[in-house]
Amino acid sequence: MTAYLVRRLLWMPFLLLIVTFLTFVLGYYGPGDPAQLLLGQHSNPEAVERLRHELGLDRPLLVQFADYVWRALHGDFGESLTMARGRPVSDLLKRSLSITLQLNAVVLVVSLLVGVPLGVFAALKRNTWLDYLTMTGVVVAISLPTFLIAPILLWLFAYKWRLLPPGGWNGIFSRNIILPVIVMSAGPIAVFARQTRANLIDVLSQEYIRTAYAKGLHERRIFFVHALRNALIPLLTILGLMLGSLVVGSFITETIFGIPGVGRLAFQAFFSRDYPVIMALVLLIAIGYALANLLVDILYAFVDPRIRYQ
Amino acid sequence: MGRLLEVKNLETRFHTQDGTVHAVNGVSFYVDEGETLGVVGESGSGKSVTMLSVMRLIPQPPGEITNGEVWFEGRDLLKIDKEEMREVRGNRIAMIFQDPMTSLNPVLTIERQITEVLELHLGMNHQQARARAIELLKMVGIPAAEERIDSYPHQFSGGMRQRVMIAMGLACHPRLLIADEPTTALDVTIQAQIVELVKRLRDEIGMSVIWITHDLALLAGLADRIIVMYAGQIVESSPVHELYKNPRHPYTIGLLQSIPRLDEKQRERLQAIEGLPPDLIDYPTGCPFAPRCRFAIEKCWEVDPPLEEVSKGHYSACWVKPEGAEIMHQWHASNTEESQ
Repeated sequence: MTAYLVRRLLWMPFLLLIVTFLTFVLGYYGPGDPAQLLLGQHSNPEAVERLRHELGLDRPLLVQFADYVWRALHGDFGESLTMARGRPVSDLLKRSLSITLQLNAVVLVVSLLVGVPLGVFAALKRNTWLDYLTMTGVVVAISLPTFLIAPILLWLFAYKWRLLPPGGWNGIFSRNIILPVIVMSAGPIAVFARQTRANLIDVLSQEYIRTAYAKGLHERRIFFVHALRNALIPLLTILGLMLGSLVVGSFITETIFGIPGVGRLAFQAFFSRDYPVIMALVLLIAIGYALANLLVDILYAFVDPRIRYQ
Repeated sequence: MGRLLEVKNLETRFHTQDGTVHAVNGVSFYVDEGETLGVVGESGSGKSVTMLSVMRLIPQPPGEITNGEVWFEGRDLLKIDKEEMREVRGNRIAMIFQDPMTSLNPVLTIERQITEVLELHLGMNHQQARARAIELLKMVGIPAAEERIDSYPHQFSGGMRQRVMIAMGLACHPRLLIADEPTTALDVTIQAQIVELVKRLRDEIGMSVIWITHDLALLAGLADRIIVMYAGQIVESSPVHELYKNPRHPYTIGLLQSIPRLDEKQRERLQAIEGLPPDLIDYPTGCPFAPRCRFAIEKCWEVDPPLEEVSKGHYSACWVKPEGAEIMHQWHASNTEESQ
């Protein structure tokens, strides 16, 4: 297990280097010139050329890339070019990352705490009206797009009834967080509920459950000791994807509710062609997913005795 | 020998989208104390469903026990409440299943799966239960039981897992063990070991055994009596030697003729039973075996024959009741001629 972990961790820098290179190439050949963007469309071509030289954009691709990696290794991701000219990218990222991590962690916990029990409930009451009602609610929740449900909730709770603040960020224990969390949890709750229900119903028809009944065990024990654990193992994969997206942030939700997180930062960076910011964001997301995958693989080994890594 | 289990007129149905499946149709049989009853029949003959009905392990819905009585230790198991039935299962009657690969919970240790029965039915604390579980594993022939008890099922071979299932089944010294094709999924050499193991434990504990199988040959050295099932009915019931010597139902004769024999000098041509068992949704009115039967007479197509005694303790549900001994004898003779 330790050897496996070390190997996985050693592999990670290569993975990140590849991701960085791909993003760099896309940025290099992609449309839009930061220097032109900074100086405006009708600027003097000589001035643009001078700025390009100042920014180091006229050097060959590989030189620029090597320079970038060298600085990144020292924690320097450059400065914002367009959206917040001259501010270190790491500053921008630090602040928004801390907000997004907090927000998404709350979303993840809420999704699990609501979604899994809903799925268990539906499986226990399977094929009764309670099951159908729960699952219909879940399908509705997963079908409503964020850009539709967020403004509606915002209008109802913040303007019409004036129960909740319309947005902004005040930490996870403030009332500001309620609406964004509802909007962002709806989908994951639905996914967890459906998966839990389906897995549990599948597990309950397995032969080892019949064995458990034949042993005379209480129904409660069969359900919670023999069935539930088997049913929850596949949820880890979904959990892994969600963990990876912890650092991504929701473009739409963060923008609508005015939360200065990674999502909003990315949204702004993309539209202003702020390449250093975009590069750093992509790298961040890659690290997030790589770590999440590793974590899930480790968790699998803990909950499923059949899995052993070598 | 007292009577341990008596099943009367058991009827089990499954309600499916295509219609009602007549899985068990008025089955009556008994098991005496210390006796081993073999139950034979092909897939879908209702042998497993009958035993699952006795244990009340039929999933409801879609299953339903529509009629019958199951007398065990002075009570009708179909009438007692759920809690009382729970105390019978795994304690007074144990059941082991066909596929030891899928019948054990993959995420719980062997220890956990055995001790939970002991703690539940015998009120042992965890240490006592663990010690007893190790004894049980040794009893069924698991080497290094002290260490292996903490393993998970996937770390055991198929035969070892079936031994674990048996240890689990026998944990509370049941009066009756129902073994539902416990060797079907195993290698032939392992099969023999498991059969020997159950025989030994049966004699040590003094319990009764119901052994379900589709392999008539396997029962020869194991069972005291055999019942043969077809289309959810018992078509023949007989002491074991009598059944092999002189079967009185065409289906049993067919089964015996389809067993390969190694003790014969000449190679006999195996005789398969032509055709398929009847559709249990559209259940026939006459004898369910009639369409495949070479002895069928007109009456067979109209009236389903009842189980009638042909000699002491030997019953056959057939209007013709052919003398199996003669038929088998002629068949052997003709086979020998042919091959010469």
